[in-house]
Amino acid sequence: MQHKGTKVAIIGLDSVPPELMFSKLLGKLPNIKHMYDKGLHGNLTTCHPPITVPAWMVMMTGKNPGKLGIYGFRHRKGHSYKDGYIVNSAHVNEETVWQALARQGRKSIILAIPPGYPPKQIENCNIVSCFITPSMEKSFTYPAELKDEVLNVANGKYIFDVTFRTENRDAIKKELFEMTEKRFDVAEYLAENKPWDFFIMHEIGFDRLHHAFWKFFDPTHPKYVKGNQYEHLDEEYYKMVDGRIGRLVNVFGEDCVTFILSDHGSKGMRGAFCVNQWLEREGYLAFKSPVADVTDIDKADVDWTKTKAWGWGGYYARIFFNVKGREPNGIIDPNNLSLEKKKLVEKIKNTILDDDGRKMNNLVFEPDELYGIAKGDKPDLMVYFGDLDWRSAGTIGHNSLYLSENDTGPDDSVHSMNGIFLMYDPHRNLRGKELKGLKIEDIAPTLLQMYGINLPDNGIDGRVIREVAGL
Amino acid sequence: MAPKSKYTTVSIPVTLQDRIEKLISKKTGFKSVSDYVTYVLREVVAMHETKEIPEPFTSEDVAEIKERLTALGYL
Repeated sequence: MQHKGTKVAIIGLDSVPPELMFSKLLGKLPNIKHMYDKGLHGNLTTCHPPITVPAWMVMMTGKNPGKLGIYGFRHRKGHSYKDGYIVNSAHVNEETVWQALARQGRKSIILAIPPGYPPKQIENCNIVSCFITPSMEKSFTYPAELKDEVLNVANGKYIFDVTFRTENRDAIKKELFEMTEKRFDVAEYLAENKPWDFFIMHEIGFDRLHHAFWKFFDPTHPKYVKGNQYEHLDEEYYKMVDGRIGRLVNVFGEDCVTFILSDHGSKGMRGAFCVNQWLEREGYLAFKSPVADVTDIDKADVDWTKTKAWGWGGYYARIFFNVKGREPNGIIDPNNLSLEKKKLVEKIKNTILDDDGRKMNNLVFEPDELYGIAKGDKPDLMVYFGDLDWRSAGTIGHNSLYLSENDTGPDDSVHSMNGIFLMYDPHRNLRGKELKGLKIEDIAPTLLQMYGINLPDNGIDGRVIREVAGL
Repeated sequence: MAPKSKYTTVSIPVTLQDRIEKLISKKTGFKSVSDYVTYVLREVVAMHETKEIPEPFTSEDVAEIKERLTALGYL
């Protein structure tokens, strides 16, 4: 399958789980069903942590988050207690597929792949930045002139992301559909009007649909109410996208191999576990005065002279130790750090119960062990509460360790480890074969193989998916 | 063919090895000189691999993005 005219397109759908796309809704999605029946599909196991940033870059570099040095949207700045930074495109130092292609003079279109702001200046590429872009007023394309074309296609209002800080779900729904339609408008425009050998787009709307509406359409969610007005919103949205995918694949043409991929799956949220309140209860975290109101840990009056460890909220918990000589007011002797880690890991794994009094199935990872090498501003421990069924609440001042809602906004779903993989080549009838054991790191080396590029010996973690590359 | 080992050997001065052995014999956590050296090197290497990156976001951007990411459940 290595030839000069290789054309590959990836339609990246954030957070789409196989349970929805390949099971519950497949029969309602004629275009995707056709590709599924004629192509290859499977579950795509994502990286740790299963989060949009870093997952898309793991997919596009073939390297794990430790090698990328990216562990989520936000990092601590060094070993500061309060200073952090938002991960942006410049933090990705490993080579992406489109950079490898560009070196060979092949042309790419990169639409909204996170983290994509600010857009990198890569020759042979047309780039539109991602949902982290602060606003339309910024320079969000490469080349810069492309911005006018994008705004023109989007009737002057290109939507990077939906506003999500409201319980007004009708407003979220409206913006969600509008955003996704516009993204596909831009995708079609770019695919039709710009030269490309490789096309990749990312749609964040699925993730937003899942987080804002999961409890309405999943009958197994604890808060599901039969007959509610959003009961079939998953179907409505997936069908709309299916129609757009049908149109887009037509634009790609008969000689293009198309992939539909997601970066992680989704599942119903059981609740939020207050990691810092638990650490306080266990004697790891201390405050200068009792915390009366719900407070962000970054704004709390932590007594660092008595604090051994604290945590961050999110879909997984990041835990940091307060180490002498490392943190500004560290108290743990560095020589005791591994023992302290071991003790806390045991406690997290074996002593935390859920709100029903059952042991939580908690997973704990140490970045160095998990990745082999863990660059950048890594946490000391990464914790999945209840196999990610429980998100981590970083705030304190709650009257329980367990929250039935997200502590920071409307949220009904959490992330899961299985995303989707679908490949469709109009020239090959692959009869809907299911592939097993696919990993997100496998995508980049497989793409490079399809373009006949020798895999660089620079620590790619993935393997070539032989069935896909036609080997 | 034997599987490729995950480890290799590097040389350090014997006097340094003695010092590390003495150091770790008093403390818990490090089982061997190799463990200690690996730990220290990982930290140092990771530190050098991290470059200063210019901040593309203004402080208003950061506040806005943080609010957005928080509402989305990422923070």
